[in-house]
Amino acid sequence: MFFHILKKDLNRKKTMNIILLLFIILAAMFLASSVDNLMAVNGAIDHFLEISKVSDFLTIALGDGKEDKIANFLQDNENISEYEVIDTFNLVNEDIQIVSCKEEPGKSRYERTNTLCVGIVPENFMKVFKEDDSALSLNSGEIALPKVEADNNNLQIGDRLLIKLGEIEQEFEIAAIVKDAVFGSSMMGFKRMFISKGDFEKFKQQENLTYTKLYSINYVNKEDFKNDWRSQNFITISNLEGESTIRMCYIMDMLIAVILIIVSVCLILLAFLVLRFTIVFTIQEDYKEIGIMKAIGITDMGIKGLYLIKYLVISVVGAFVGFILSFPFGKMILKQAIVNIVVDRAEQNFVVNIVCAAAIVAVVLTFCYLSTNKLKKISAMEAIRSGSNGERYKAKNHLKLWRQGKMRPYLYMAVNDILSSLKRFGVLLATFCLGVTLILLPLSAANTLKSDGIIREFSLSPSDVYIDTGKGETYTVDMDSMFEDMNEIEKKLEENGMNAKTGVDMGYSMTCYADDTENSIVCFVLQEMGSWERSYAVLSGKEPELDNEIMITQITADELGVGIGDTIHCMVSDMTYEFIITGIYQSMMEMGKGCRVSRNADINREYAAGIICMQVEIEDMESEEACERLEEIFPEYKIMNAQEFLSNMIGGVIDQLGTLMIFIVGIVLIINSLITILIMKTIMTKERGDIALLKSLGFTDLSLRAWQVARVLLILAAAIVIGTILSNLSAPYIIGPVFAMMGATSIELVNATLKDYIFYPLLLFIVTGIFAMICAGGVSKVDLKEVNSIE
Amino acid sequence: MNSLSVKDLCKTYIINKRQNNVLRNITMEIKDGEMVSVMGPSGSGKSTLLYAVSGMDDITAGRVNFFGKDISALNIRQMSSLRLNEMGFIFQQMYMLKNLSIYDNIILPAYQSAENKGREKRKEINNRAKELMHKLGISEIAEHDINEVSGGQLQRACICRSLINNPKMIFADEPTGALNQQNSKEVMKELNRINAEGTTIMLVTHDMKVAAKSDRVLYLEDGNIKGEYSFGKYTDSQETRERERKLSNWLMEMGF
Repeated sequence: MFFHILKKDLNRKKTMNIILLLFIILAAMFLASSVDNLMAVNGAIDHFLEISKVSDFLTIALGDGKEDKIANFLQDNENISEYEVIDTFNLVNEDIQIVSCKEEPGKSRYERTNTLCVGIVPENFMKVFKEDDSALSLNSGEIALPKVEADNNNLQIGDRLLIKLGEIEQEFEIAAIVKDAVFGSSMMGFKRMFISKGDFEKFKQQENLTYTKLYSINYVNKEDFKNDWRSQNFITISNLEGESTIRMCYIMDMLIAVILIIVSVCLILLAFLVLRFTIVFTIQEDYKEIGIMKAIGITDMGIKGLYLIKYLVISVVGAFVGFILSFPFGKMILKQAIVNIVVDRAEQNFVVNIVCAAAIVAVVLTFCYLSTNKLKKISAMEAIRSGSNGERYKAKNHLKLWRQGKMRPYLYMAVNDILSSLKRFGVLLATFCLGVTLILLPLSAANTLKSDGIIREFSLSPSDVYIDTGKGETYTVDMDSMFEDMNEIEKKLEENGMNAKTGVDMGYSMTCYADDTENSIVCFVLQEMGSWERSYAVLSGKEPELDNEIMITQITADELGVGIGDTIHCMVSDMTYEFIITGIYQSMMEMGKGCRVSRNADINREYAAGIICMQVEIEDMESEEACERLEEIFPEYKIMNAQEFLSNMIGGVIDQLGTLMIFIVGIVLIINSLITILIMKTIMTKERGDIALLKSLGFTDLSLRAWQVARVLLILAAAIVIGTILSNLSAPYIIGPVFAMMGATSIELVNATLKDYIFYPLLLFIVTGIFAMICAGGVSKVDLKEVNSIE
Repeated sequence: MNSLSVKDLCKTYIINKRQNNVLRNITMEIKDGEMVSVMGPSGSGKSTLLYAVSGMDDITAGRVNFFGKDISALNIRQMSSLRLNEMGFIFQQMYMLKNLSIYDNIILPAYQSAENKGREKRKEINNRAKELMHKLGISEIAEHDINEVSGGQLQRACICRSLINNPKMIFADEPTGALNQQNSKEVMKELNRINAEGTTIMLVTHDMKVAAKSDRVLYLEDGNIKGEYSFGKYTDSQETRERERKLSNWLMEMGF
């Protein structure tokens, strides 16, 4: 009998059961694949760092290829167990030329994404791998480059590049796209290409080349090594403390898996809401049958068993399908996440997926068991007398039609229904709210990253135009050429009727400490230069003006235990500079560890580790126009506005967020559509009598459809308002910590723009509205005679 | 003039591939201002006839003219408009929307009819609703919810709703079927009064006492009108017993 009732029930409430099944499938699929992916990515990063042989300590420094003070130190120091020095040549845009490109025939200009160098294939430390995860080896005439560089120039394997350093030039065929554990993540601002040893030696014959030296060091004792290292005051570009720092740089690669987990948790919550809704609805529908079963002596547990079996069947089928689908889905997502990583296992973890699917079944059944407790409270007599519907109606009409001015009857009925049955429409409201929040939160992160103000969070000043001359590394060793180029730019602009000022930020990698040299950190110290005097954002205090003043980031202040008015020392090479702290600021550069000195500070420019993009301020001209004019005047330079400059600097992150947004919006639209179908179908089933009554009174199908659709859209409108408030309130607690991890400890998040507030709600309205309209089409199928089915 | 004229009306249902002829070639007329009851044994097709002639249900064959309009030629929209503005319906169960008060249930069809006609029209509707409720003695329950009033009060509210758009004709399906004797009497009193004011009424009933208060009774059996009995206008409650007796005798002749 149980199976007969079950079969009848599954058949009768087809739509409701199918939608519940879909939610369970989605929840199982998302949970299984995201947990597995998170474990896979996390494990893969460990594996990748291990097989790449990332040393305890990494440092990057400029050199001329001859005398190497750091190598001498490494050789003599007893605290060092092993080390390796890799020579690389710096490459600026002018050094590389595209000879053949299948995707863009005729293209010759190469544009690097970031600081770029070329070196031999590493053998001991910092090893790199091909796209198929095999070890890289190159023959003469072959070159390998990271994916981000290849994508930026539309290059693929087989295309040809020409590298010209001084008098020596050589053509190379792209033999591999590589995965680079240390410099491959989207957060790393340094990329490297690889050529064979023989080819590298040929270039080495060229005199006066600028080298970037990569030092991999394994120490015996961390603290002893750090003390020894600090005491040497080497001039370096950047220091990385092994795996921990590099792992942080892969945070964006894990973000997709984390967001998928958040989405799957939301889906599980929604599945519960849907489950509760269907259970309550089913019990109400079966009220009379329940009464009869109780009357003939079937126990509460026996009746409960009916429901438990039904939901066991649905959840097992749903979890099984979700489990199967989690493999291709997980593979697809994992593929995106491991573009830059070598995974240690080719297959997904069967056990993890099965445990997640089983967890879904267990949770659904527990929830079902708790939800059916209501059955105990229904007496046989009560159930039978209440009829087949069993609804315990309590009068609660909230609005009076005659008081509603010009409100149309269908709209009035829609508003009144919602206010009268808030609980019934609660599932819809909660789902829509969740959807809006899921869209707005990452949107807030993306908008913050794309906002004009974010440039200040990188400790820079906003400007009209940013110029990448492609000669950054040349400027570092030949400052005069940089100032010549800046003067030339100003002069040319003046000739073209533009009054412009140029500026640049010089960066020094310095060891900073307060009183105790033992407690020191390596910071990126910035100093502005050029004719344009800029201003910078401070959290407290003021920006430095005198030559002995400095402002430091909140993270630096916390680590050194200093504040405004205190003195800090900054060491580079054999020089130690003393500064008074005048201000505290925040910066997302170098993970928040930074300082800025005044333009008057007397720092030896020979110690510079690099420069930040050249900036131009043009009088009485908007950024867009200025960029267009400069592109005409300087076709050889890369001209960017603030957005483009940022995109260039943190492009990977913004692109990933963009992909994520499309994914989330898609999921939200699917969920909204499913919930709309579920709620409308079930409510319309209950309202067939009311619909028939209204038809008999002369209401047209159109006005009845409008009534049904208006309810959904009104709830969506309310959800958009509530969701917006919720996401704006919760953003500082959810998005804020992500920015804090990157260095912006108290960032002002940019909420969705007016365009977003129009586009996304409109999209939700259109898609939800279409599905609501389709469902509302059901009113025309209601026969007028069904008026007799009103309870 | 005829309010309703029906010619060769047939209604057939197909149940499990078997044809079931519920109404067979029915021809009848109801004159303006007339009150006609339809009686007959269960399953004879009384309600089906009511739903068919009122456009609530499709017909299989024949023609139904409602105040000169062939309703089978009307499209869904025109039929809705006809039901909204020219017909009134009363059902055995007192169907009303649960989320609305009695008063709002009554004015709802009128507000729908007066869509886009402005505040003045709505004021008129409110006045008419109050007047109707006053006449039917249910003014005091206007703001009540439908589960707070008696069956008789609710049926009178349904009558108010059916009258709110000044219909030309009222169709009532067992209007007293769910009421006790006292409430039944009160509802019939109101229907007679409405009919006396000129509204045509066609009602289906099992109750001889109800049918005796109409002008004419049609007896339906196996989908055919087997006979009809005319009383003339019901004017005085004194003659009720006599009308009931005559009707009873006639129904016995019909085999009821």
